[in-house]
Amino acid sequence: MGLKQNLHKLKEKYKGTKMAPAFNALHTFLYTPNETTHSGSHVRAADDLKRTMNTVIMALIPCLIFGIFNAGYQHYAAIDNTLRLDPLGNFFTWDNFILGAWTVLPLVIVSYGVGLLVEFIFAVIKGHEVEEGYLVTGMLVPLIVPIDIPLWMLAVAVIFGVVIGKEVFGGTGMNILNPALTIRAFLFFAYPTWMSGDKVWVHGAKEMAGQPDAISGETILGSLAQNHEPIYSIWDSFWGFIPGSVGETSTFLILIGALFLIFTKIGSWRIMLSAVLGALAMGLIFNGVVDAGWIKDGSSFYGLMSETFWHHLVIGGLAFGIVYMATDPVTASQTNKGKWIYGFLIGFISVLIRVFNPAYPEGVMLAILLMNVFAPTIDHYVVRGNIKKRMKRLKAKTA
Amino acid sequence: MEHIELFFKSIFIDNMVFATFLGMCSYLAVSKKVSTAVGLGAAVIFVLAVTVPINWLLDQYLLQDGALAWLGEEYASYDLGFLSFILFIATIATMVQLVEIVVEKFSPSLYNSLGIFLPLIAVNCAILGGSLFMQSREIPTLGLALNYGISSGIGWFLAILAIAAIREKIRYSNVPAPLRGLGITFIITGLMAIGFMSFGGMLTGGDEETPSLDSNPENLGVKTEQIQEENTETAQTVEVSTITKQ
Repeated sequence: MGLKQNLHKLKEKYKGTKMAPAFNALHTFLYTPNETTHSGSHVRAADDLKRTMNTVIMALIPCLIFGIFNAGYQHYAAIDNTLRLDPLGNFFTWDNFILGAWTVLPLVIVSYGVGLLVEFIFAVIKGHEVEEGYLVTGMLVPLIVPIDIPLWMLAVAVIFGVVIGKEVFGGTGMNILNPALTIRAFLFFAYPTWMSGDKVWVHGAKEMAGQPDAISGETILGSLAQNHEPIYSIWDSFWGFIPGSVGETSTFLILIGALFLIFTKIGSWRIMLSAVLGALAMGLIFNGVVDAGWIKDGSSFYGLMSETFWHHLVIGGLAFGIVYMATDPVTASQTNKGKWIYGFLIGFISVLIRVFNPAYPEGVMLAILLMNVFAPTIDHYVVRGNIKKRMKRLKAKTA
Repeated sequence: MEHIELFFKSIFIDNMVFATFLGMCSYLAVSKKVSTAVGLGAAVIFVLAVTVPINWLLDQYLLQDGALAWLGEEYASYDLGFLSFILFIATIATMVQLVEIVVEKFSPSLYNSLGIFLPLIAVNCAILGGSLFMQSREIPTLGLALNYGISSGIGWFLAILAIAAIREKIRYSNVPAPLRGLGITFIITGLMAIGFMSFGGMLTGGDEETPSLDSNPENLGVKTEQIQEENTETAQTVEVSTITKQ
C-alpha cells in the first residue's frame, strides 16, 4: 500500500462530499491523474495548466537558489566589507547557504502555506476543484519581498492578494491585477517602513540599527536617488551580488529564465522585448535631457537621469518584473499588437517612475499594475481596429 | 512648463476618480459598455472644459473677497464667496442642458444609451468638484483654468474607459453571487486606484528651482521643514474642500 493507493482510497471515500476538491487537488499535485474525458469534442494537449505553471516555477528555481546564497552573502559582506573584494570566491559557501535558507525558506513556506490554505477553503466552500493558479504566485511572492519582512505581514498580504485580488473575480484566469504584485503593493502601502529604505534589504540590518556594529544595505537605486555614487559596479549587479529583494538581484539568471520561458513558449517574447525597448527609450530620453544641459548637477533627479540608459535594465527589479510578471498571460494584453503597446508602456513608465517619483525608488511594480488596469482597454481597441479593417476588406470585395 | 505640469498632475496624480473618488455615480452606472462610457466621458470632458473657465471668471470678478473692486472703491470690501455654490451649479446646469440638446440632435443612439445619466451630469460631483478645486487651489490664470478643466476631464474619461473595458472582460467571470454587479465594481475601482498610485508623490517631491539645497547637508533641515509646511498646507486645503463639500 503506497501513498498513491492511500490517496486514491481517500479520494473515493470523500467523493461527492464537500471536502472532495481538497483531496482531488492533492492527488493531482502529486500524481498525474489517469482520468480523461470520454465524450464530446475536446482538445488533447500535454501542456495543461499544471505543466504551464511548473515551467514558470522551473524558470524561477535558479533565482530562488541564488537568492538563498545572496541573503547570507549580503549579511556577512555588510559586516565584513573585505568579502566584497572577491564576490565569487566568497559567494557559494555553506555559511551563506545556511543563513540564507534559514531566512528565505520560511518566506516560501508561509507564502505557499497561507495561499494554498485560502485556495483550498474557497474551493471547498464554492464546490469547485482547486486551481493551480497559486503555484506560480506562491513562488514569486517570496522572491519579490525584502528578506526581513515579518512572516505575519506576509501572511496578511497573501490573504489579501488571494481573496481580493483573485478569488472575488472567480479564481484563476479571471483576475485583473497580477496577484503577486497585488500582494507586494499591499505590503508596500500598508507597511512602508518594512518595504523600502536602506535598512530592509540585508538580513539583520534593521535590528542592528543604532548599534556600533550597525550595517547598512543601500540598494543601487537608493543611492542613485540620493545622488550618491553606488558602491557596486555594473557587473556586480549583472551577476547579482547586490542587496535587493530576495530573488531579483541576478540579471544573468533572469536572462536564462527568460530564454527558457521563450523557448518553451510560456512567456511572450513580444512583451519582454517591447518592455526592454520601452525602458531603453525612456533611458535615452533622460540621457538626452542631461546631455542637453537642461538638468543641473545639483538637481535631485540628476543621479538617476544621468545613469547610462542601458544600466536601468540591470539594476533594480526591472528585469525580474518584465520577465516573470509582465508576461502573466491572464493580466497582460491578449492580442499581439496589444502586447507590443502594453510591454512598451511598462518599460517606459517603470523608468519614468524611477527617475521622477521620489516616493518610490523602484517603479516596475506599479508600472505593471497600471498597465494591467489598461490592458483590457488596449485589447478592446485592437480588436475594434481589426473588425474595422476586415469590414473594409469585405466591403471592397463585395463592392 | 506650468501648463504641462498641471495637465499631467490632474490626469494622473489628482485623478478625479482614483484620488478623490468623485463622480462615482455615473462612473459606476454607465461603465457597462465601452462605447457608452466613451460617450459619457467625452461629455464630461466638454462640460468640465467649459464650466471651469466660466466659473473661474465668475470667481475672479464676482465672488472672491475683493473681487468687486472693478465696480468702484465702495465695493472693494465685499466677499460674495457664499454664493459660489449656487452660481457654479447654475453655470453647470446651463452647460449640461446645452450638451444634452447637442447630443440629442447629433447622436440619438448615444442619447438613448446614456439615458438619465446625461442630464445627471449636472449633479455629477466631478463637475462641481472641478470648479470647487479650481477655487480652493487658487488657479492663477484663465488659461490654466481651461487646462485644469480639460485635463481633469481626461482623467475621468480614462478612468471610466478603463473600468468599462475591464467590466466587459469580466462579464463571464464566475464572481461570487453577493458581489456581482456593483460590489465587484467597487473592488475593481479600489484595485485600479492602487495602479494609479504609481504617480502619487510625483512632481511634488523634487525641487528644481532650489538645487543647492540638497547638495548642502546643512540645508537638509530647512528642506524637511519646507516639506512639512507644504504637507500641512495641503492638509488644510483638503480640510477646506471637505468642509465646503458638506
